Amino acid sequence: MHNALWQSVLGEIELMVSHATFTTWFKNTELVDQNDDLLTIAVPNIFAKKQFEVKFNDQIKGVLSKNGVNPKQINYIVNISGKHTRVNRETTVGLSPKITADELIADNQTIKQTTQITGGLNPRYTFDNFIVGSSNDLAYTASQAVADNPGVKYNPLYLYGGVGLGKTHLMQAVGNEIIKKNPSARILYISSETFVNEFLDYIRFKKKGFSDKYRNVDVLIVDDMQFIAGKEKTQEEFFHTFNHLHQNNKQIIISSDKPPKSIPTLTERLRSRFEMGMTIDIQMPDFETRCAILNIKASQSGITLKQETTEYLANNIKTNIRELEGALNQLLAYAEMRGIEPDISTAEGLIGNIRNSRPQHISSKKIIDQTAKHFQINISEICGEKRDKHIVTPRQIAMYLLRSELHLSFPKIAGELGRKDHTTAIHSVEKIEKAIKLDFMIREQVAAIKEKLYA
Amino acid sequence: MEIILTQENLNHALAAVSRVASSKTQLPILGNILLRTDGKRLLIAATNLEIAITQYIGCKIIKPGAITIPAKLISEFISNLPKEQVELKVINDNLHIKSGKYTSIINGFIADDFPELPTINEDSSIQYSIKVEDFKEAVSQTIITTSSDTTRPVLTGVYWHSHQGKLYLAATDGYRLSERCLIDTKSDVSAIIPTQTLQEVLRNINENSNEIDILFDETQVRFRINEIEIISRLIDGNFPDYRQLIPNSSETKIIINKSDFIRITKISGLFARESGGSVTITANKDNKNISIHSIASQSGENTSEADAEVDNDGQITLNSRYLSEALSVVDGEKVEFSFSGKIAPCILKSTDPKSNYYHIIMPLKS
Repeated sequence: MHNALWQSVLGEIELMVSHATFTTWFKNTELVDQNDDLLTIAVPNIFAKKQFEVKFNDQIKGVLSKNGVNPKQINYIVNISGKHTRVNRETTVGLSPKITADELIADNQTIKQTTQITGGLNPRYTFDNFIVGSSNDLAYTASQAVADNPGVKYNPLYLYGGVGLGKTHLMQAVGNEIIKKNPSARILYISSETFVNEFLDYIRFKKKGFSDKYRNVDVLIVDDMQFIAGKEKTQEEFFHTFNHLHQNNKQIIISSDKPPKSIPTLTERLRSRFEMGMTIDIQMPDFETRCAILNIKASQSGITLKQETTEYLANNIKTNIRELEGALNQLLAYAEMRGIEPDISTAEGLIGNIRNSRPQHISSKKIIDQTAKHFQINISEICGEKRDKHIVTPRQIAMYLLRSELHLSFPKIAGELGRKDHTTAIHSVEKIEKAIKLDFMIREQVAAIKEKLYA
Repeated sequence: MEIILTQENLNHALAAVSRVASSKTQLPILGNILLRTDGKRLLIAATNLEIAITQYIGCKIIKPGAITIPAKLISEFISNLPKEQVELKVINDNLHIKSGKYTSIINGFIADDFPELPTINEDSSIQYSIKVEDFKEAVSQTIITTSSDTTRPVLTGVYWHSHQGKLYLAATDGYRLSERCLIDTKSDVSAIIPTQTLQEVLRNINENSNEIDILFDETQVRFRINEIEIISRLIDGNFPDYRQLIPNSSETKIIINKSDFIRITKISGLFARESGGSVTITANKDNKNISIHSIASQSGENTSEADAEVDNDGQITLNSRYLSEALSVVDGEKVEFSFSGKIAPCILKSTDPKSNYYHIIMPLKS
């Protein structure tokens, strides 16, 4: 009963204050006692106690009275484990560890020679259930070659392509295949984010075993490499890991959403290393592949789709296999719940919902906005007539970005920035291209703007 | 708000509090510093909701008021100013700072959103006044053995507690343990103070400080050094009953010059980097010495010896880094190092009977 009241109070307060305020102060609070006149609320620490007493008291009283409770006074106490509450506190209540000499010693084996890792692989992803089409057959063949001869042929294998096109599936399939052939192989599958986080822990808390973990493997698979961009120390650490593995002929497989050269702020030495093995692009699946995927997925659920339904779905969702699967699952679930046929009219009704959630793309306006913002000048200035140096350079950078990121034609670029003559655009783009190679400042600035664009 | 004060005072206070302000939290305002007039003084405060640091400084108040401003920017700006008077003036949530030829405007945030600073009831809490040197020594001796493993929060602080009429400080990370007896006490205390809090207190001790006032209540602790106040939460939970770990007797006892012991430990540590710091100490009664041996399979090996009083032969393997760190905080010229066999904990302490500190290290399985 206590909890129900407090829950409804929290629910209402969550709407009244900002999200950050709510999570900072109201999480882990609890109503522990309720009399006619006195309400006792447990809060996690002294800071919260004071904050509640001074800042939130009136607000809470207001909400309580809406719920029909009018206590004369509310007491706030700091929650000391086990003292006031019963719920969900096992972790701290049970925590009075008796440290014995034996236990300490057991913990103390700091020297671990090898770590047996088959970390992070999902056995569901295999070559068998990967659907090959013209868009991904090269990647598929290369992956199989790697699985047959890890560390020999294509090292590193660098797969890139948009979201939901099967990069993870392929990489995991390589890992699973190698394990199948050689169960003692040490394979580590991680996302680059994990790498970054563990590296930070390593630096911050001096946690041991960081380089052991990454350097004692036979196959290192790193997913979503692009997130390492801009993190220089991490890149350096990854660089050393990479070299160590590569020199010992250990296989490295990397995936990313862009080729190495288009990842902004990737250091030169990593880029050249990523490019030295095999760099393969996984493209959008073509229509036939999409149909094949749909048919196979549907038959896995024991349903045969009509030709026209498959074609309708394949026609409407072109860019992303994950989305395609999602649409299919939604259709099948919907049909099953309603007890109707998953036919084309049902699909038409549903597909509208799915298509709404597209990620927005970079527009020329966004590029100009970001550039102007970065240099702290007005858009009217960047598009205007003035030729002061502090405006000209940003303008040229904007033109360069329009060209490099959007591949706009020169007349179009000139038009976007209010110029009549397209030769200005040609000149600007060439100038920045050259400057990027020579001028550190320009290079940094272009990279910074790019980063903001893709953030 | 409109006030005039000296750059020195302001700079000093900002340096003391601004380290706590952090922009990495969910609440952006925690990256700010609170400036608020209080009577005839200015209160400067920052908090990260674990600890709060406040300092009062004297100033000339023309108009009372309050504001919060980004910690980093203001402290860096003020520290670069020459030692002159500084005028602070709040206009529309912005802080206008003027000093000689320098003026700047810093965008602020209204003080109402700043978290309330916790207060401690002086009457119902336990109070201690401790000499700064004692405090400094005791904390530095114990803080090195606190754990950084957040899955066992009780080990991430120093355990201040009363035991048989004395106030003890103890800390352990599961591999080593240190205990220091500080002063006599009549009250019952049991509080785990977070490592960061103690580090912050140590940082704020300067040559002008003589005594440090400490106030405990059930959930918080307050330190006061001169005009600086540091309030911190305590770590919730029970500290392990570590006294059962302390060996009562030992088979081998070594008495050695501290400087000799430090030197041979450091030297052998150089060869123990590959093996996680593992070095083996052998005590020899007949030769009246001890030797430390370490092997680096790639680069070579080392044996160093030092004269010592030894009552019994024995051997133990442990982490040289732990040993060096322990030696660096033990007081006195000579130390007593005792152990029993290869797996029982070893004790390091000063031979000085007045010493009230000892350090325990768990051996490595060799």
